[in-house]
Amino acid sequence: MRFRSLRALTLAFLLAFLVATIGTGFAIHGITLQTIERLVDRRILVVSDAIAGAPGDRRPADVFRRIDAAMRERDTGDIGLLLVDANGNRLGGNIALSRRLPLGFSTIARDDRIAGLSAGRALVRDVGCGMTLTTVAETEPFDDYNAARTRIYLIGFGSIVLIVVGGMVFFVVTIGRRIGETRRTVEAIIDGDMTRRVPIHPSGGEFAQQAMAFNRMLDRISDLMASISNVSNDIAHDLRTPLARLRSQLALALRRAETEAQRDDLEAAIAMSDELLAMFAAMLRIAEVEGGDRRAAFTQFDLADLVREVGDMMQPVAADSGRQLDIAVDGPTRIVGDRQLLGQAMVNLIENAIRHTPAGTRIEIGILANAAATILTVTDDGPGIPADRRKLALRRFGRLDPSRHDAGHGLGLALIDAIVRLHRGTLSLEDAVPGLRVVITLPRN
Amino acid sequence: MSLNLLLVEDDAVFAQAMAEELRGLDHCVTIAVDGREALAAVDSAPFDAVVLDRMLPRIDGMTVLERLRGSNMTLPVIMLTALGRSVEKVEGLEAGADDYVVKPVAAAELSARLAAVVRGRGWTGGSADTIRAGDITVSPTKFRAWRDGIALDLGKLEFKLLAEFVANADAVLTRAMLVERVWGYDFAPTTNIVDVYVRHLRVKLTAAGGEDPIVTMRGVGYMLRG
Repeated sequence: MRFRSLRALTLAFLLAFLVATIGTGFAIHGITLQTIERLVDRRILVVSDAIAGAPGDRRPADVFRRIDAAMRERDTGDIGLLLVDANGNRLGGNIALSRRLPLGFSTIARDDRIAGLSAGRALVRDVGCGMTLTTVAETEPFDDYNAARTRIYLIGFGSIVLIVVGGMVFFVVTIGRRIGETRRTVEAIIDGDMTRRVPIHPSGGEFAQQAMAFNRMLDRISDLMASISNVSNDIAHDLRTPLARLRSQLALALRRAETEAQRDDLEAAIAMSDELLAMFAAMLRIAEVEGGDRRAAFTQFDLADLVREVGDMMQPVAADSGRQLDIAVDGPTRIVGDRQLLGQAMVNLIENAIRHTPAGTRIEIGILANAAATILTVTDDGPGIPADRRKLALRRFGRLDPSRHDAGHGLGLALIDAIVRLHRGTLSLEDAVPGLRVVITLPRN
Repeated sequence: MSLNLLLVEDDAVFAQAMAEELRGLDHCVTIAVDGREALAAVDSAPFDAVVLDRMLPRIDGMTVLERLRGSNMTLPVIMLTALGRSVEKVEGLEAGADDYVVKPVAAAELSARLAAVVRGRGWTGGSADTIRAGDITVSPTKFRAWRDGIALDLGKLEFKLLAEFVANADAVLTRAMLVERVWGYDFAPTTNIVDVYVRHLRVKLTAAGGEDPIVTMRGVGYMLRG
């Protein structure tokens, strides 16, 4: 059986514990009753044997005498005796019965209305001449024994149950809190705060050890990440510096160039080095956005306003390249985020739509808002991207057509994705039938 | 504009090439290879502006800048860096740099930015409600512009673009500078946004006749004739 949560596991354990406890209670109760009954039965059998006498020695007078003697004697004084004739008439003894008991052993309850007796056992036997002797003894060592026993059970087992339930609750709450601390740390780290650690309780023990191991793992991961980031910063720096030299040498050569052909070649070479440098710039920008530092500068603003601003700005650019850009927003849509980065994401998405569609394409930027999320879409009715290639388009350097040299450095969507993830949102590509719809889903709050 | 420049750069190849190119653009260039040399040079000769690499041996660029500003040197400084993180840019500007450029930068771009920071120091602005360049008048406070007395019907961005041109009349404004100053973006658009807006602005400026006042500087940017 699988338990999906700590709570389910605890409830199952408690249920099993209660069943076992109640079962034990009933078993003890039953065995106690049985034992008492057996002891009482043995006792009344002995008394009854003595009063009845041997089968040959059962003259009524002797039986009467022995009853009287037994009633007087101290160790049998608590035993109830009744002698009746064949018609049920009372001949002697110290009790009266409201009903006729069958021969042999039987159980007597309060209903039998024997003075001073609430529960007991009776032995009815034939003592000759049609007379029957009933011997009765209490199965309760003292008055209200049953009530006392119930009290003992309630207090005893009740306190055990309370201790266990309390312990379990404490256990569950403690474990839950420790797991919660770990989970919050993990969430903070997923959000980019690599400095968060699980608090270590000074009491030590397994939880503290686990937290320490977990924190050591995080230290190791952030060391690795720092060295990766150093490596990429170093790559960016170490490669940018020679590239910068290369570019300035090319620029110098261009100034000294004598023929138009040389100039053209050198300009092409400069353009290529600029492309490489733009790629490094984009990589560093992605790394910067992924670092999550910019989240500290989030502000509240109207996304619809930003869409209109960017849309208005890009409309002449789209028109200039023969595409139509429409803006579909209504009322204000307040969100918390980095206005500048989201603006950049919108500009880049519209630029992508302009670059990757034929002239005459209609592009639309709009907002759909629901209770859970604000959805920003950029839709075009161009050729779109086939379903099996959309994932590739989202990958870093994932250019769909490697033969195209004018399609940018393949980092555009990766940067947009980083910006969206900074806002804890998701980026997806959908079929706009026909065309492509880029969907940015930003969670509310 | 011919400027007397101090180029602080430890990469000899880059420094030599950049110096030669800047000289080709009519500037005088002195090279310092580290922070200590830079501070000594600033003390011994008057420069119009400093191009300061951020990563330098011995005393790094940020420290040089802080010392310059600490000793009340108001000399215009453009920071150069191999890395282009926005945080560093903000740090550099907060430390008192007038502009911040990511390496490599074309000499023409650097020259245009140097001219802008040097000009910026001389420009008092403030009192006048309108700025003028040739027959173009712009009122930044009223968001209105006129050419030859005739009001121009400009969009918000077209207006900002024209105001930037007028404020920097007869100086080259590169596309990157315009993107930063007019659009307020810290990234390079991949489409010809600047060119499209300049074209629209040209159409509106010449609608009532008159010569096109905006000159295209091939491979560099634009300039408004004053």
